[in-house]
Amino acid sequence: MARMKFYCDAERCIECNGCVTACKNENEVPWGVNRRRVVTIKDGEPGERSLSVACMHCSDAPCAAVCPVDCFYTTDDGIVLHDKDICIGCGYCFYACPFGAPQFPSDAAFASRGKMDKCTFCAGGPEVTHSSEEFTKYGSNRVAEGKLPLCAEMCSTKALLAGDADVLSDIYRKRMVNRGASVMNWGVQFKKAGIDG
Amino acid sequence: MAAENRHNSGRVRKIVLFCVFSLLVVVTVPLIPYAIDAYAVAGKQASVEKVAALENPAINLWNDVRQRNERTQGLTQVQGVDSGVLINKAGEDWRRFRVEQLVPYGAWFMGGILGAIVLYYLLKGTQMMPGGPTGVRIPRTTLNQRTAHWFTAGVFWLLAVTGLILLYGRFVLIPILGSEGFAVTASACKEMHNLFGPLFILAVVAMFVLFIKGNMYNLGDLKWFAKGGGMFGGHVSAGRFNAGEKTWFWLVIMFGSALCVSGLLLVLAALVPGREVLSLAHMFHGISAVLLIAVSFGHIYLGTVGVEGTLDSMTTGSVDAAWAKAHHDQWYAEMMNDSAAVEAADQEQGSGLVEGGVAKPGQAPGV
Repeated sequence: MARMKFYCDAERCIECNGCVTACKNENEVPWGVNRRRVVTIKDGEPGERSLSVACMHCSDAPCAAVCPVDCFYTTDDGIVLHDKDICIGCGYCFYACPFGAPQFPSDAAFASRGKMDKCTFCAGGPEVTHSSEEFTKYGSNRVAEGKLPLCAEMCSTKALLAGDADVLSDIYRKRMVNRGASVMNWGVQFKKAGIDG
Repeated sequence: MAAENRHNSGRVRKIVLFCVFSLLVVVTVPLIPYAIDAYAVAGKQASVEKVAALENPAINLWNDVRQRNERTQGLTQVQGVDSGVLINKAGEDWRRFRVEQLVPYGAWFMGGILGAIVLYYLLKGTQMMPGGPTGVRIPRTTLNQRTAHWFTAGVFWLLAVTGLILLYGRFVLIPILGSEGFAVTASACKEMHNLFGPLFILAVVAMFVLFIKGNMYNLGDLKWFAKGGGMFGGHVSAGRFNAGEKTWFWLVIMFGSALCVSGLLLVLAALVPGREVLSLAHMFHGISAVLLIAVSFGHIYLGTVGVEGTLDSMTTGSVDAAWAKAHHDQWYAEMMNDSAAVEAADQEQGSGLVEGGVAKPGQAPGV
């Protein structure tokens, strides 16, 4: 059984926002709703790194734990989805989520937020697969077609990876082994620049 | 012989010393380049350590992302609440509070108080007026006070029920109504709670203005508390309001205000920057609500089936003299000495107070 995961490699992300655009286009999400975003830490300073973040499809999802109407469910692939027909737009998932994944179409007075919208791992929702209702409410269902989320598929530097956790960790482990050598090389460069030079 | 021997031994000593010194020189001199080299190596090692101390500038990336050292705000093209925050730590605290504390402890607290009241009622029953009702009525509340009371009670219970459904419906109502049935209920509750919530501000202000008189604590209240308010038998001397009623008044004002402020923040969430404030507001809102609901059980019990004749003060506005004498003796004495009130009551009924006259509420001056 697969366990679907996103992984963003901070050493590779170049903050092109291609994933954000791919997501918006593929799922036709409304204005003001951003299922995915790229955040840059230490922008313009040494050590600047960017990370693309969306719903991380947690095993122990805080949104599901606090939801007063219990509208979340986890698929067999470990994807956390929710039912918009049940969601009451209370915003509790937004308070609980560490990643800021839950989005609301409106943010007006009297806490009228509308139904929550979030990344579905391009796996649609509880409606009939590939129905127009599913697309309108939840967007594309690429997983049903055997495809991975478009954000990761479109990533130009392969910083954003999506797929089975075992496969992802293998890819990342190989990257780390190679990167280990380059980091040691970095150390030599430092020595030359900082001490001998 | 002896002198020659002495001479020989001196020479031997010199030869031995010479040999040892030569040996030291022969052994040490070739080592000098090595020593210099070793010194240089030690220096190099120190410089290697210095290299290691130079950090990769991105080494604290995950500390920043996890907000371990300070609150780090990133930069993002996406505009929205806290969109620059990669990991919000406060969310997990709030989740733990709601799921592991507010829901179970709140249920135990409210259920415990309710259970204790039912048990007390089964053991003690209704506390009757000593000697039965006299028929003599003493005005206790004005029409404004009663209106404010029932307005507050109505809004409070509307908000309490809708709030409790949102807090416990997932566990209690989903098995009964089903997911979709409960979704409609919960949605209606959420809208009612948010739209009627601001009325509670009006209610708290009205309660404060109309009931502050007579609700200030005094020294006699200590005695009331020490005797447990007469819960275990016997009556405790009290003025217009006893210490328990005063405490209920101040709980309503304090926690009611907390509910109003936190509720306003939650309703106007769009104006509040960030989620930390909102999750804090949620905590205050939940604790205050659970506390007020639990104490209100006691208030409702004492006002209805707990003590005979108490409900009259909030329905007709007047109470029986026997009730006043038993529960609020100081106030009873004040009222009986208030000739104006007595006269008003007398004129109203055309008969003496003792013979069963009724002083209608709102018409008795000095109340």
